[in-house]
Amino acid sequence: MLKVSGMSVRYDSVIVALNGIDFEAAEGRVVALLGPNGAGKSTLLKAVAGMLPFEQGDISDGRVAFNGASLSGKPPAAITRSGIALVQDGRQCFRNLTVGENLRAASFRHPNGSSARLDLVLSYFPILEEFLDRQAGLLSGGQLQMLVIGMALMLQPRLLMLDEPSLGLSPVMVQSVFEIVERLHRDLGMTVIVAEQTVPRLMQIADDVYVLSRGRVALHAPPGDINEERLQRLYLS
Amino acid sequence: MFTLQLVIAGVAVGSVYALIALGIVLIYKCSGVVNFAQGGYAMLGAFFTYALAQAGLHPALGLLIAVVLMGAVGALTQILILRPMLKAPVVAVMMVTLGILITFRAVCLFIWGPDQLAFPQLFPAGVIELGGIFMTYNYIAAVLLSSVLCAAFLAFYRYTPLGLMQRCTADNTRAALAIGIDVSRQVTIAWVASAMLAGLGGALLASLNGLSVNLSNIGLVAFPVIVLGGMTSLVGAVVGGVVLGVLQALTDGMLTPAIERVLREYTEIYSVGALQQVIPYALLVLVLLVRPQGIFGTRESERV
Repeated sequence: MLKVSGMSVRYDSVIVALNGIDFEAAEGRVVALLGPNGAGKSTLLKAVAGMLPFEQGDISDGRVAFNGASLSGKPPAAITRSGIALVQDGRQCFRNLTVGENLRAASFRHPNGSSARLDLVLSYFPILEEFLDRQAGLLSGGQLQMLVIGMALMLQPRLLMLDEPSLGLSPVMVQSVFEIVERLHRDLGMTVIVAEQTVPRLMQIADDVYVLSRGRVALHAPPGDINEERLQRLYLS
Repeated sequence: MFTLQLVIAGVAVGSVYALIALGIVLIYKCSGVVNFAQGGYAMLGAFFTYALAQAGLHPALGLLIAVVLMGAVGALTQILILRPMLKAPVVAVMMVTLGILITFRAVCLFIWGPDQLAFPQLFPAGVIELGGIFMTYNYIAAVLLSSVLCAAFLAFYRYTPLGLMQRCTADNTRAALAIGIDVSRQVTIAWVASAMLAGLGGALLASLNGLSVNLSNIGLVAFPVIVLGGMTSLVGAVVGGVVLGVLQALTDGMLTPAIERVLREYTEIYSVGALQQVIPYALLVLVLLVRPQGIFGTRESERV
């Protein structure tokens, strides 16, 4: 479904963030993208989503293909239209707008069937229904995470990419977020890529694991082949 | 009664300030850029209207066409000059807008010269009296047109899908990109709307005060207006514009003569000059000292 070949990324034309990465997410799979801070996880997801030019980043080499079609050089709007949604780190939403407006805004690209999708989102996140008229900036971290995943679902994606969804959340919330990811994958057959630093819960739902280190793929293996000691060695290398 | 007369005149000019200031806020919200060229767009809109009327068109039709032309000028500025500066620091972009202002002034000076020109009559000449207050049709039209347009613009921004996309872009560019909003296009739309508002405001001001390249100085008045209202508040820009217009009118009509009377009595000074032009900046300093975020602005807060 998604194939990244030999991708290198530089920030400000100087800092090398990715160095010849090969990465693949097959249809219907949950792929875990692991690695310490600065390993290149977020950069890889942003490169796929076409967000790098807006953050002083450039893909200096390599290509991205989604269902056989090249995404290289396409703007984020076109990539979103092709069926890829990125839930960015930092729970990026419109905090001065209401929860309802956030969800409505996310359906601009696919207005057809948006009310059915809204029902779907609210069935996954019933708490959002109570807050539809509340300003998003007033939600807690966990509620915001649900909102941004809900916004991504409004885009009707075939590939959902989540960048550190557990960051800053309480263990209970982390558990709920991963449960929802699992349900989305199971119920909707969605392909999911989750970039994370913390692993245990993610390993239970992942079909495939990539570990990045210093902008390279340090390990690509099924979750069964990965243990804590091996990860620790890679993280500290 | 005289005070009321001044207040009404101030509201008329202030509502035009509001139109021009709305454009600055719109661009600032969308791109973080303070557009120093806004006064230039106002001046250009007025000169376009003047030129079209000189060419034989009815001034009102000329104004309509001028506003559309200003939209095109705004779009071209953003697409040809500012879009290529995507990766440039915001300060550099702001300096470029200053360059645009200087260029517009130079071009207008070259074509129309430095003298004050008689602006074509946009609205019928005449005065009406309401309870002892005299108002020219020009002032009434300026107030009505500006108020209706400000209200329409705020409603558009608040209730339409395009307005929602503008608000999304203004709120969080990264999130807007992620949900497939074409941020570059939204910024272009903001420039188009801003230039159209400025062009219209410039023509209305010229219809009240006459036309010369000095009309571009209105941009400098618009900055205190948006600081007063709160840099990111559209409603604040409207309220700020009206407050400033009224303060200027009261200063010109009451404060300045009162000070000059006292000065003449006790000193040999006969005039304090255009005190009303100092008021915006005095107000700017005062607001920055007391409430840096402006009347309607909000303090930036972040969860830690």
